[in-house]
Amino acid sequence: MKLSITDNVHLVEPGDFEPSEHWYPRVLNSNIHPLVSHFLYLSNEQYIERYCRLNPEANPEAIAKILNYKPKYFKWSGTDMMHITNQLGNKKLTVIETNSCPSGQKSMPLLNLNVEKGGYKRLIEETFLPAVNAHKETGKLAVIYDKNPMENVGYASTLADAFNEDVLLAKFEKDDPNPPAKFIDNKLHIRNEEEEWEPIRAAFRYVTQIPWSRIPVGSKTLLLNPIEACLAGGRNKSEAYGAYQAFNEEFKEDGISINTPKTFLDVRLGELPTYFEKMGKSMVIKVPDSNAGQGVYTITSETELNKAMTELQQNPPEDTYLIQQLIYSNYIKGASKKDSWYHVGTIPDKKNRSYAFDLRLMMSSTNEGIRPLAIYSRRARLPLNQPLPEGADSWELYGTNLSVKQMEGWSYDDERLMLYDIRNFANMGLGIDELISGFIQSAMATYAIDQNAIKKFEK
Amino acid sequence: MSLKVLIVEDDVVFCKLLTKYLNNNGIETQDAQSAQVAKSLLANQNFDFVVIDNKLPDEDGIDVLAWLSEQEITVNKILMSRFEDEQIIQKATDLGVKRFVKKPLKPATLLDLLQELG
Repeated sequence: MKLSITDNVHLVEPGDFEPSEHWYPRVLNSNIHPLVSHFLYLSNEQYIERYCRLNPEANPEAIAKILNYKPKYFKWSGTDMMHITNQLGNKKLTVIETNSCPSGQKSMPLLNLNVEKGGYKRLIEETFLPAVNAHKETGKLAVIYDKNPMENVGYASTLADAFNEDVLLAKFEKDDPNPPAKFIDNKLHIRNEEEEWEPIRAAFRYVTQIPWSRIPVGSKTLLLNPIEACLAGGRNKSEAYGAYQAFNEEFKEDGISINTPKTFLDVRLGELPTYFEKMGKSMVIKVPDSNAGQGVYTITSETELNKAMTELQQNPPEDTYLIQQLIYSNYIKGASKKDSWYHVGTIPDKKNRSYAFDLRLMMSSTNEGIRPLAIYSRRARLPLNQPLPEGADSWELYGTNLSVKQMEGWSYDDERLMLYDIRNFANMGLGIDELISGFIQSAMATYAIDQNAIKKFEK
Repeated sequence: MSLKVLIVEDDVVFCKLLTKYLNNNGIETQDAQSAQVAKSLLANQNFDFVVIDNKLPDEDGIDVLAWLSEQEITVNKILMSRFEDEQIIQKATDLGVKRFVKKPLKPATLLDLLQELG
C-alpha cells in the first residue's frame, strides 16, 4: 500500500487485505448463528418453494422471475425493513428504504471461517469481476467513496487481489473544492502520483451524499452501482415508492407485493399540519434524498411537528416531502385492528425491555440470480414497552440508525448493533421464514428500482 | 519497551491504516486529525515520536513543531510532506526534526525508519 499518492488518494496493492481492519472488533470475534448460515446457503429454488408453501397465493413463477432477475443498473443493494404486527396477530416485514450504497460488511460475521474476506470477496468476485471483465473500457481500477472507509478499504484490497492489480482509492466528497476524481467525457479519471488524470475502466462506488452532483448518467466507466440506480430510487425515497407502486401493479395478479407503510408523496411544508391531523397525530416526515437517518423525523406531538418544520424551513421553499404512516410502538386503543401496525420488537430482556429494531439485508446480482450477502439489525435507544421519559424525542423510541458523526465511520453506536451471531440473533425473535420473506421483499424492491431505472433512462 | 508514536494527518484513512499497521508491528500508535487534538495529546502524554504532516486543517505541521519547542516538550519529530520545500526543510531542521518523509508513504518504510531511529 502507498498512502497518500496525492491528496485523498491511496494506492492499494494486491496482498493488502487485513481482516482486522474491515470488521468491527465485536464482529471479528463473533460466530454466525447456524440458522442464519443455513438461510444464506439455501438456493433460490428452496426460497421459492418454502415461501410459496407458506404464502399459497403467491405465484412461484413470478417470484422466480424476480430472484433470477439480472439487474441492469442496481446490481448491489441493501434494504431496511421493520418487523411489524397488528392486533389480529398478522406479522410481516415492511420495506422502509432501499439503498444503492449499502453498508453492512463490517457488521456481518463470517459465513465461512476459511474465507477471510467474507462478503467482500463474494461481492467483488461474483458481482463486480464478471461485469468488469465484460466491459470494454481501458484504464485502471478504483474505489471512490465519501463515507465508510472501513468497508471501502476492504473493497479496494479485495479488488486488488481479485484482479491482481493496483487499485486507486479516492475520496470523492461533495464539498471538496479540488476533488481527486472527475468525469471527463463521461469517463472517470483519478489524480495519480504524478498529479495527472488517470483514466478508470471500472470503479466500485460508495459515494452517498448527493452523488448526482458529480457522477453523470451514462458513465463510460463501469460503476457498481451507476448513478442511474440512485436516481431511480436507490437514493430517492419518492422515486423508490413510485417504483414499488408500479411493481405492485405489475404483479397484482401474482399474489405478491412490496410491503410499505401508507405513504404520501410531494407534500409541501405548509401542508404538514394537515397531514399530521389526517394521519391521527403521528407520522414520519422524510426528505426524499436523505440517508443515514438524517432528514427523517418521527412526529408524535405538535411540539415535534413544530421542531421538524422549523428545521425544514431551512430547505428551499419548493422542496416537497414524503409522509409515511408511523409504525407505532404499541397498539393504540381504538385504532383499526387490521390497519394499525406496530413493532414486533426484540424479545424482552431480563428487565422486560423490548426495542424497535430494523433489519438490513444486503444482496447482489450473481450468476445464480439475486443472492443475499449480509444481514444485521439495529435497535432503537429506548424500549417501546415503557413510557417515553418526559422531554425525550420519539426518535429515541423509533430511530434505529447507528451513524455517529465522528471519525468518518471508524466509530459507531456499538451497543445498538445486533449481530446475527450465536449470542444475539435469538434476541430478534426471527425465524428462517422471516429471513426468507425479508429476502424476497428486498429482491422485489431491487427489481422494482432497476425496472424504474430502465424505464427512466432507456424508454 | 515498545516505542510510542503519534501520527498527525488530516486524512482519517491515512491515519487509521498507518496506526493499525504500526500497532500490528509492535509500535504503540495513536493518531490525530488536527493540530488542536495533536497538541492536546502531546501535552498530556509522553510519546517517543510524533510523525506530523505539514498540511493540517487548522495549522501547519511546522507550527505545531515550533509549539513543541516553546512548550519544551521532548519528543522525536518526523515531518511528512508531499513537496520538498527548501524553506520548510530548513525550518524543520532548526526545530530539531529528525527526518523529513516524503509522501506517498509506504507503511513499511515508516516502520523501518522508526525502528532505526528508536
